[in-house]
Amino acid sequence: MAINSFSRLGTANAYDSTVANLQVRQNKLSSLQESLSTGKKINTPSDDPTGSAQAERALNRLARIATDQRALETQRNAIASAESTLGSVTEALQQVRELMVSAGNGGYSSAERKTVAEQITGLRQQILSLANTLDSNGQPLFAALGSALTPFAGPGIAPDYAFNGLPGTASGSTYAIASALDGDSAFMLQPARDAVYNVQPTSAAGGLTTGAVDKTNPSLVNGSAYAISITAFDGVTVSYSITETPTPLAPAVAAPATGSASWTAGQGFSISEMPGLSLSVKGTPAVGDSLAITPNSSVFATLDHAITDLKAAGNSTVASQVVSQALHNIDISMARLSAIRGQAGDLLNRVDSISSTNEQRSIEQSANKSRAEDVDMVQAISDFQNQQTGYQAALQSYAQVQKLSLFNFIG
Amino acid sequence: MGILNIGTTALGANLVALQTIGNNITNVNTAGYSRQSVIQQTLPGQYTGAGYIGKGVEIETIRRNYDAFLTRQSTLATSIQSGDATRANYLGQLSTIFQGGTDGIGASINDMLNAFSDVASAPTDLTARTVALTRVDETARRMRAASQSLDDLQAGISQALSEKLGAVNTLAQNIAAVNDQIARALGNGQPPNDLLDKRDQLIRDLNQYVQTTSIAADDGTLGIYIGGSQALVLGTTAATLSLAQNDFGDPLQNKLLITRDGNSTTMDESRLGGGEVSGLLRFQNTDLVEGRNLLGRMTTAITTSMNTQHALGLDLNGLAGANLFTPVSVNDVLSPVPPAILNTGTAILQLDISDVSAFAASDYEVNFTGASSGSVTRKSDNSIVVPAFTSFPVEFDGLRLSLGAPLGSAAAGDRFYLRPFSAAASNINREFSTPSALAVASPIVGQMGASNTGSLQLSSLSAGVNPPPATAVPAVIVFTSPTNYTVNGVAATDPYTSGQAIFGSGTPPAWSLVLQGSPLAGDTFTVQDIKATSVNLKLNGGNATALMNLRDVPTFDGAAMSDGYASLIAQIGIRAQSANYSATVSTNIAKSAEQDRTGVSGVNLDEEAAKLLQYQQAYQASAKMIQIAQTIFDTLIQTLGR
Repeated sequence: MAINSFSRLGTANAYDSTVANLQVRQNKLSSLQESLSTGKKINTPSDDPTGSAQAERALNRLARIATDQRALETQRNAIASAESTLGSVTEALQQVRELMVSAGNGGYSSAERKTVAEQITGLRQQILSLANTLDSNGQPLFAALGSALTPFAGPGIAPDYAFNGLPGTASGSTYAIASALDGDSAFMLQPARDAVYNVQPTSAAGGLTTGAVDKTNPSLVNGSAYAISITAFDGVTVSYSITETPTPLAPAVAAPATGSASWTAGQGFSISEMPGLSLSVKGTPAVGDSLAITPNSSVFATLDHAITDLKAAGNSTVASQVVSQALHNIDISMARLSAIRGQAGDLLNRVDSISSTNEQRSIEQSANKSRAEDVDMVQAISDFQNQQTGYQAALQSYAQVQKLSLFNFIG
Repeated sequence: MGILNIGTTALGANLVALQTIGNNITNVNTAGYSRQSVIQQTLPGQYTGAGYIGKGVEIETIRRNYDAFLTRQSTLATSIQSGDATRANYLGQLSTIFQGGTDGIGASINDMLNAFSDVASAPTDLTARTVALTRVDETARRMRAASQSLDDLQAGISQALSEKLGAVNTLAQNIAAVNDQIARALGNGQPPNDLLDKRDQLIRDLNQYVQTTSIAADDGTLGIYIGGSQALVLGTTAATLSLAQNDFGDPLQNKLLITRDGNSTTMDESRLGGGEVSGLLRFQNTDLVEGRNLLGRMTTAITTSMNTQHALGLDLNGLAGANLFTPVSVNDVLSPVPPAILNTGTAILQLDISDVSAFAASDYEVNFTGASSGSVTRKSDNSIVVPAFTSFPVEFDGLRLSLGAPLGSAAAGDRFYLRPFSAAASNINREFSTPSALAVASPIVGQMGASNTGSLQLSSLSAGVNPPPATAVPAVIVFTSPTNYTVNGVAATDPYTSGQAIFGSGTPPAWSLVLQGSPLAGDTFTVQDIKATSVNLKLNGGNATALMNLRDVPTFDGAAMSDGYASLIAQIGIRAQSANYSATVSTNIAKSAEQDRTGVSGVNLDEEAAKLLQYQQAYQASAKMIQIAQTIFDTLIQTLGR
């Protein structure tokens, strides 16, 4: 709009264009004022389409981080209470262990052992209800990949206590972790993995005791129960029949119907016909003596067996057999629990790291959003003052120029 | 007596000059007025032996200071400016409909998807379910509100168009009438300055609405043409402009119809150039259509995905999920309407959704070259998406075009117009409000073998069919080695890779499973119907997680569903911004063209004041001349009388 020295100026047009210029200035002033009062440099998307899309995306990210963080807190709470519940279970098992040790005292009468058994029954009850604990949202803490409202049912349900759910672990993601622990892995026992068996010797002389069942080849273990009865003993070799229930289906290896082992005085003999398992027996066997070897499918079943057997133990030899079995089995159970507790610890560590990542990202996104849409106050105030001065100057000069007219000098 | 006569001519000429100056001063603010100046010339001198003796002055003409080129340029620039400004104004309104921030549609979509996170955390919590449903309602409400605002904008445009066309028709008639007056006035030999100014001003006014070109005729009339070649005013008659439907009777897209002597011709907005009418038509036919399509596409994609995913879940009663949102139909097919050439075939087209993630925000035109062959053109960028199809169904951009009932066949030359997304958002609603009917449980669950020895973990398991077909569940996956597995005894073709999806049988796959970690031989994973397990489905939030995860599904030209609105804002914002730029540029051009024009034609008061003094003095001098003549005469008489 350069005005050349050679061009004419229409008076009306000069006024019009001055007014138009004033309006442009007023518009700028008003939009700067709007920016200052809202604190946003983008008042409509057309001001800066890219910036407004950026701000919008940052807003979405922020909302999502907040949501993820809220869900993560729920997961953290669930895992943390599952972890502390496992702690309580371990404590209770520790008590059971101590009681068991005391029950092994040779001076205890059968009535005293019954009292101990009652105490253990109470603890078993407590452990079962701990295993069925719900989180604050009503979800079982040990639901694994999903379960019934009460994941552990029993006793009294054939074959034993059962995990009413789907064993397994969820992997979580970059913004979430699993919200339940694998209860099956914590409380249920696997014959192949854990080989927790209850061995009950029955002998007329009452002389047979056994060690714990050892696994020699886990891949052959099939979880059957075995009934072994001594068919012949000549002082050197023990012969016995083996009854396996249920008969395993192929390709699992079944135990032979009969077996024999060499007997040494003071050492006893070792039964190795059960696939993948071996059992050492002490004492002098007699024809008709028998051994019942039953797998324990869960921590609870282990306790139940111990309780029943302890109550039934007529003398201290039987009782010490029961106690040694129980202690062995409880130790395996506690190892399971502490393995799962370790997983819970890992998960909680993950929560902490996800949390801090979220926090970091939240700060970054807030900064992005602010960079995209917030006004730089110092800049804006300075711009505003510039515009204001400019507008003032324009108004003043307009008013002054308007006064100038040759007509003022005619007359 | 010569001096008296000369004085008289001078007196007369200067008086006319003063009158003209006065007229200039009075009309300083009259729109379209061109400054006039008096052109004086000497009267032919009287020949004497001593040469020619001047006989005074006379007025040759009153000249209108006028430059045809500058006037035309200014008119044209104003026309373009008003077209651009109109479009920019309306685009400004359009971009306010698509606001960002917490009050926008985008925030409600994200809040809705995020709300399912809380449901997934606590599937039994009725409050979380109610919140999710409220968010669903809020999203539907905001989509509807935006659609309603677009309708309101459309209604405003229709009204503005009909008002402006009324103004155009009146102006055209006025120009024809002035043409008539000018033709007559020219007969007397002098230019009718004020009539010419009036006609120029009418043309300027007309150009505010629609850009014209003019061709002068010999009789002084001016022919006014729009769209390059259509005569709006010819001599003393004017044609009428009206709005016409486009070829397919789409009420959202108009053409201009010019009617002269009963003959009508339609014009696209692209031929119109500048002016408010073309600015409005351009906005309505391109920008608003795109706005509608963007909103419609977003609505269709999001609600369809949500509905599909929700149907893959089970509610608290164990029933499959019903529709969350009113299902959107994309089947909006238009056939040509008169005066366009009608279809001769009998085909009825049916449009369905095939893939929500492949949508393009556009209308389509189908052109048949035979009974079931032809091409499909995407209107937004005029690209041919299907160059030559030979049979139905035809799939393009996530849509499936097939023959509808009753089955007919098309004829070569038949055309159809598809508006899949135009009205998608107008009727969107939340379909139910019972929190227990929210289907957040997954119909299938998975379990690991209890005696697994590897480090397998379940990353995700989602259903593709609800209820899961008996042919697909239970599916027992047994790893025969860390990289190979069988499904129900059948060896899988692809090796196992941690994090890669394994699909169930059927089309679509009945389930998809992602496992992580390394399995060992003998490890198993079983996919089961949730109802066949002991799992309490009320505690399962698998489908809520799946609904939440929709936020990351690439949906809008590859952008995640949760970011779709951000790109929509940007798209509309860029349009508005570029319209603002062009409006600013054309405003500046118009301003400077007008300045140039008024440089020639405008009245400058100081100049007139100076001239006033100049001619006043000349007038006084001529009066003095007469006085001197009188004095000379008196002297003569007195001398003679002695």
